[in-house]
Formats: sequence, C-alpha cells, structure tokens
Amino acid sequence: MNKLVKNIFIFVVILVFISAFSSSYSSLNIDNLTYVLAIGIDSSSDNKLEVSFHFSNPIPAESSASEKSTPIINTVVASSLSNAINLVNGYQGRQLNLSHCKVIIFSEEIASKGISDEIYTLINDTQIRPSANIIVSKCNAKYYMNQIQPEIENLLSRYYEVFADSSKYVGHMPNATIGDFFNSLICKTCEPYAILGGINKANSKTNSSEASDFGDNSNNNSQKDYNIKANDSSVEGENKVENIGVAVFKGDKLVGELNALETMAFLSIRNKVDRFLVSVPDPLNENEYLDIYLTPKGSSSVSVDTSTNSPYVKVKCKFTAQIYSMSENSKYLSSDILETISNSCNTYLESMFLDYLYKSSKDFKSDINGFGNFAAKNFITTSGFEQYNWLETYKDSFFDVNIETSVKSGMLISET
Amino acid sequence: MQKTKIGTVEAIMLILTIIVAHSVLSMPTNILNTYKSASILNVTYVSIIAIIIAYFVYKLLKPFPCMDIIDISELVGGKFFKNVVGSIFIIYFIVSSSFMLRSFSESIQILYFPMTDITFIISLIIIAICIANRLDFSSTIKTNVIILPIALIGVLFLFFTNINRFVPERIFPILGESAFNTFVLGITNLSSFGGIAYIYFLPPLLKENTKLKKITLISIIATSLYLIFTIAVLLFIFTFFTDVSEISPLYTATRYIEFGSFFQRLESVFLLVWILVFACYLSIVCKFSTGIFQKVTGISNKKALIDIFGLLILGIALIPKNLAISQNFEYKVYPYLMIGIVLVLGIGILIFANISKKKQIHNINTNNNHFREELQNE
Repeated sequence: MNKLVKNIFIFVVILVFISAFSSSYSSLNIDNLTYVLAIGIDSSSDNKLEVSFHFSNPIPAESSASEKSTPIINTVVASSLSNAINLVNGYQGRQLNLSHCKVIIFSEEIASKGISDEIYTLINDTQIRPSANIIVSKCNAKYYMNQIQPEIENLLSRYYEVFADSSKYVGHMPNATIGDFFNSLICKTCEPYAILGGINKANSKTNSSEASDFGDNSNNNSQKDYNIKANDSSVEGENKVENIGVAVFKGDKLVGELNALETMAFLSIRNKVDRFLVSVPDPLNENEYLDIYLTPKGSSSVSVDTSTNSPYVKVKCKFTAQIYSMSENSKYLSSDILETISNSCNTYLESMFLDYLYKSSKDFKSDINGFGNFAAKNFITTSGFEQYNWLETYKDSFFDVNIETSVKSGMLISET
Repeated sequence: MQKTKIGTVEAIMLILTIIVAHSVLSMPTNILNTYKSASILNVTYVSIIAIIIAYFVYKLLKPFPCMDIIDISELVGGKFFKNVVGSIFIIYFIVSSSFMLRSFSESIQILYFPMTDITFIISLIIIAICIANRLDFSSTIKTNVIILPIALIGVLFLFFTNINRFVPERIFPILGESAFNTFVLGITNLSSFGGIAYIYFLPPLLKENTKLKKITLISIIATSLYLIFTIAVLLFIFTFFTDVSEISPLYTATRYIEFGSFFQRLESVFLLVWILVFACYLSIVCKFSTGIFQKVTGISNKKALIDIFGLLILGIALIPKNLAISQNFEYKVYPYLMIGIVLVLGIGILIFANISKKKQIHNINTNNNHFREELQNE
C-alpha cells in the first residue's frame, strides 16, 4: 500500500512537471515559429521606425535544385523594435524567432540619428547571435533587402552566412558584427563601425555612359577601382546589392564612410585581414601601376604618446607581397627590382595609411582603430585616463606610419 | 557524516565546485564592475592572500586530526558554543546556496523556459539534489569528479578559442579605479574563495587525513587559476562587462564561440555542464548542512533531514521577488557573510582552539614537571 501511494505520488509529480514545462516547449516549437534571416530598420514619420523582416522560405521538396526561394519581406511601422516584432508576430500568427537572424540593416538616415536603443534592445534579446552582421545601407533598408538576389547560393540564409567572409581575403569591407558593435559602443577606448552597403551603380543608374567610365582600362582607373564605396561599383548582375567600405560611427551616430582603399588600411591596422590586392605605382614605368597581393606579416604594432594633449600615434605594419599583374618585359627575378618595388610599396602604403588615419581623426573624430587601448597604457588609474578624455582628444592626434613591405616574387611567372 | 570517506582528488574537486558554481552567476561581473581594468591584478593579489589563508587554516586544523570546526568549537566553548557555530554555518550554507539557486534558475528561465514558472525550475533542481542525497554521498562526489573537469576544461576552451579576439591592452590602466580600490577595498573579493568554508569540515571525511595540506593548497591554487582564467576571458574579449551587468557573463562569452558555420551555438553544451555542476554544488551544500545538523542535534536518521533541508532551500530561493534582489544578495551580502563567518569566525575559533590546546599542553607539562620535582624531593 505504501509503495502504491509512493508510485502514485511520483506519477503525479511527473505529470505536474510535464504540464509546467510544456508551455515553454510549445512556445519554442518549430511549428509555431517563423525564422527571420534579416532585419531592416528605416526611419519613418513621427520618430517611428519602419522595420522590415526578411523570412526564410524553404524550397519545396518537389521543386528542382536550381529553383530559388523567393524572398518574403514583411514591413511594419512601430514606435520601437520590440513593438514591431510583436505586431508581426500577430500578423504572421506565429512567433518570430531571431536565432537565425544573420544580418541587421540600418538605413543611412536612421544611423545618422543614432541607433543605440535598437542595438541595446537587440543585444538584450536572447535569440540574436552576437555574430549577426550589421550593415548601414546607403539606400532604404527595405529596398536593400528587396534587392538581395544571390546568384550562386540557392538558399538566402547561406548567402547571409558567408557574404562577410570575403573581408578576410578581399579587404573591401569589415566583418562587423552586432557583438563587436555593442562592445565598441560601450567602450571608452574605441568607437563602433559597420559594413557599408548599397545598390551597385550599374543597377541603380540607367545612364550607361556613366557606368562605362569604370570599364575604362586607363591606368588612372586602376586607382579608381579602389576609391569606390557601396553604391559606386560597376558590377552588373542579378544580385543588386554590394557591400564595400566601412560605416564609421561616433558613439551611436553615423559620421562618415570609408572607401575600399581606406577599408584595407583600417583592416590592416586592426589585424582583421589575411590578404588583399592593391595597385601601387610601378617604379620602373611612370604612370603605370602594379597589382600586388599583400599579406600582413604578424600583427601591427601601435604605440601612443599621451604626454601632450595632442596624442602622437605610431603605427608599424609589415607585409610580404607577391606581384599579381604581369605584362611583357616584366623582370621580377632581380633583387634590385624587387627592392625598388618594395620601396614603392612602402611609400604608397604609408601615404595611404596616413590619409586614412587623418581622415578618421580630423574628419570623423572617431577612433574606430581602438588606439585608445594603447593610450590607456600610459595611465595608472582609470580616472586619469577618463580625465584625458581619449575619445574627444583623438581628433587632435598626429600619426607616424612605418610600413615594411618585402616583395618576394611574381606568382607563377617571374620574368617575361 | 563520518560514514562516507573521500579521496584526495574528490576532495579537491569538491572545493573547486564552489568557485565553478559561483562563477556561472554574476560573480565575475561583480569583480569586473568593481575593479575594471585592474580585475586580473586584484584577483591575482587576492589569490595570493587566499593561498596564505588556506595554508594558515591547514596549520590551525593540523593539531586536531579527524575533527571538523564543529568538534573544535565544542572544545573551545562547550556544547552551547558548538550549537551556535553549527547553526551559523548551516544558515550560511543554506541561505547563500538558496540565493545562488534563485539567480541560476532565473537565468535558465530567461534563456530556455520563458513560459515556465520559476517555482517549477527550482523544484526540479531541488528534487534532483534530494534524490542524490538519499543515495550515498559518494554518488554526488563521483558525479562531481566526472563533471567538474569538463567545466574546468570548458573555461580553458573558452579562453583559447577566443584568443584571436584578445586585446591584452585592456589590462590598462593597470591600477583600475585606484590603488586603494584594488588593494584595500579589493580584499572583500576574498569572498570568491568560498571553498575555504568546506575545508573546515573535510578532516573527518578524508580517507587519509595526512593529505589535508595537499588538498587545501591544490584546491585553492586551482581555484585561483580558474578565477584568473575566467576574468581574463571576460576582460580581454569584452569591454562591456566592466560597465554592463549580465545575468551570466560566462554564458554570454560562450555565445561568441564559433568555428565556421559548422560548430555554432556551443552555449547549450556549456549550460548543460553548468546545470550538472550546480546540482552537485547544491547536493554538497545539502550534505554538509544535514551533517552539521546531525552533529549539533544528535539525530540518528539523517535521511529525514534531506527533504526538510531541500524544502528549506526551495522556500528561501522563492523569497526574492525578482532577480535584482537575489543579485544584490550576491553582490552586497554574500561577500560580507563569507568573510565574517568563514574567515573571521572560522579562523577565530581555530586560533582559540590552538591557544587553549597549547595552554593545556603547557599546563600538563608544568604539572608533570611539578610532579617530577616533588618526586625528586621525596
């Protein structure tokens, strides 16, 4: 009898716990969820937000392998991001799940006004991954989302997953994540940054003559290729969006943009690029340019002197290089020639890095490089560092850049 | 309490369980918020003091082999004093673990069971520890020996997988807020070494009492290293922990681990390990509390006490109205409780016991000498 009572008690306890935990299970059941792949945030009238949600649309099993999923985008105007999510929950009849959200897109307009509330809300959400990329779109965020039509990937989620990886080997954009953005937003030694996105020029403008400017093979345009930002490139294709450059923030407000060349300098200083291609002046042929693959050799070295109110920042970067462009009468087996090209590289990169650093300091007044971490070394206590007010003092900085490039060879061909 | 004997490794793991369980909660955030960039310096400094204190505790326990602090307090102040000390330690163990359980359950609720009442989450853990305690204590200890190394390796894994994100310059300004804050006020951070409390109760439980020195030193040094690694992970990778309070900073850190698109979302594995560690921690607390109660009251059947203590933990864990209250306890009350009870009261009792023992020996020697002199005179 005693055993029977005990068994009944255990059975009742198990039933109670099953019912208690079933509500949580039901709310997170896959049948009741809609997975969001991207969120686009635009500003609307009356200080409201226009929030767009890009949903995954799995390809039906009976469709062919080449068939692509069509994008599903819902847009809602609400006073806050959380209200927007709630309104779409009701509209969809399912709960939005942000755990697979790979990208958060802010329009340039809303980013200029400040996005700290949205960032804090998203970071507070248990579903949002810190690895979700953050993009500032030069056009409307909803339009940007509509124009994403990946050609290579059948699955949109796959495109969102991998598109930022190119930052490591192209160097035209950073792999900016919401986790890093939040980290920098709170940080007293650095400022946040995001990927700069837009619609490529060939698609956004019908004027063919303007687009054809980029197709010119003249040597000056070798440099022009790197002075582009999102919205500027001439790539034509089904996918109309492009991500080139960095959106620079001061606090939570967008203050400027970096082009592809400046982005390479930024990524090199922050040790966030594995390899990139640049065009440097050919020391052997005036007005000609050589395309060179640069690979950072170790981490960049930074020192900051804060003995005066104008910080003096010294940056030292080392690269190994391989010549990529090849033409007739190229002779890359001579040590003297390689040495001359190395020197040309050094001069060019030093000037490129200095231009970028002064732009970040004088124009944007924003230390996205995180030099404040090195400046903090000069102070014993936090109060001393806070009195120096690094984030405001950064605008008065002076820079010294030292580049050491060692050009090794051509690639498969060394002499023609 | 004396029935189950534990080995050296098991005893070391038992003490380490305390720091691992506490580190999963807001303890690292409290350290980072208070000492900022000097957190590692403070933890290193406090660790050295903790190792010295632990060695001192061992030295004080050495003259009383196979006796725990309850037995020693009886020697010092009689049965009444023994009851008072026993009650204080029971209250300390039960109250601190209950508030920790509340914070931990709140974290689990926020992360995985948003629609489930907190009472059920706490009850489920309480049922688990009651069942574990009804079995032999060795079941808890053996589970602990399996689970804890995984948790320790987990922190090393966290450290090394995030090493490419490290910004070692975040250790500057080296003194943080000020030298006074780091080194003088920073002494309160000794509360991170809550494991010292369990050393007081180890001697009667050990298979080999001679290993107490080894157990004490290794466990406190391992606790120090674990704490330094934990703080290093959070300080070098994340700036925001010095300014933002997170429910579980280590959990947040695990969300950053990714190996390409294949290995993602490892935080669930970490949380599973931490739930098991936390259950072991509560089981150990329950075991020690019932053991002390049995010693104080002389009750022969300990099994009846397990459910009562389980319900007591459940009741206290349900007292806080919200997470803020339980976190305030961790931040504002627990450090002073730990320092007051474990360091001041515990070491005080041991010092008195050692003095009185020396006096007794001195008196015995003096009496013996007198006796010898009288014999010689006769």
